[in-house]
Amino acid sequence: MKDIMRIKSLVSADIETLLNQQIKKEAHSSAMYLAMASWCNQNGFDYSSDYFFKQSEEERMHQLKLFKYVLDMGGRAVSPDVSGLKQDYTSLREVFEDALEAEIAITQSFKNIAATCMKEQDFVTFEFLNWFMKEQREEEYKARRALELFEVIGEEGTGLWEIDKHVNKIKYDSETAGA
Amino acid sequence: MMTGVKTKTTEKFTEVFGSKAGTVYQSDREGCWYIDFAGKLVKFDYRTLLLLKKSIYRVDIEQLILDNGKSPEIEMVFICACNHCYFLSILQIIALKELLEGAFAMFELNQILHDRLHRMVV
Repeated sequence: MKDIMRIKSLVSADIETLLNQQIKKEAHSSAMYLAMASWCNQNGFDYSSDYFFKQSEEERMHQLKLFKYVLDMGGRAVSPDVSGLKQDYTSLREVFEDALEAEIAITQSFKNIAATCMKEQDFVTFEFLNWFMKEQREEEYKARRALELFEVIGEEGTGLWEIDKHVNKIKYDSETAGA
Repeated sequence: MMTGVKTKTTEKFTEVFGSKAGTVYQSDREGCWYIDFAGKLVKFDYRTLLLLKKSIYRVDIEQLILDNGKSPEIEMVFICACNHCYFLSILQIIALKELLEGAFAMFELNQILHDRLHRMVV
């Protein structure tokens, strides 16, 4: 008999589910960064607010990249619900701590999808995930560096003002970043 | 209904998997599947078949058995974009789950065979 399953889709149902879960996580991250941008703006941290606006846009772009991939492969991309967002923070430090935690969780999630791809020998999706793996290097670096500013500069006196000013200057231009 | 399918369309349908409770057929020409289960024959395309699998796998059978409250022990399985729905007892849900598990194992096997025999790049 014909292999209709394979004709219809390149990715398996399991991989499709995992990618859809990732789409939801990216949508959640985008919305989370927007909430962080709002909090920073309300509390006078203009540079941090801009930083999180940019991060929110990036996460939205990641979500669309995954979304289009699922569709291109013949799968069903699901537009996700986003709920349960944290809107209030007790300090600027807490905002950056949450941002780093979120990025670590996203990296872990991509590792899980890659592990499933290896198991299923889905090297097409595995290759697609490489872009995200590289992106996570940058995302984690930026979040970690931002948090390190609190140690280096200190929060006393005009410390927070200095930290806010430096947040937007964080760049990942390591030679390992590649082209 | 089951005999009707077999006698009428032997060349059109391929039996994918059968159990005491029902049978899954594939139609290569139409690019779809027919499930003969719970007294009716329902046509599924690729998307609706995956949705059926998802909704059946999602049913928590253990909870249904333990829940001796108001539950009538009947589950309605409705699939979006499909004209049919199933009203199933716990035993029927278990049977349909087994049927689908068997069918999907066959699909996987079919895919492996196609990959090995027809899609080999020389």
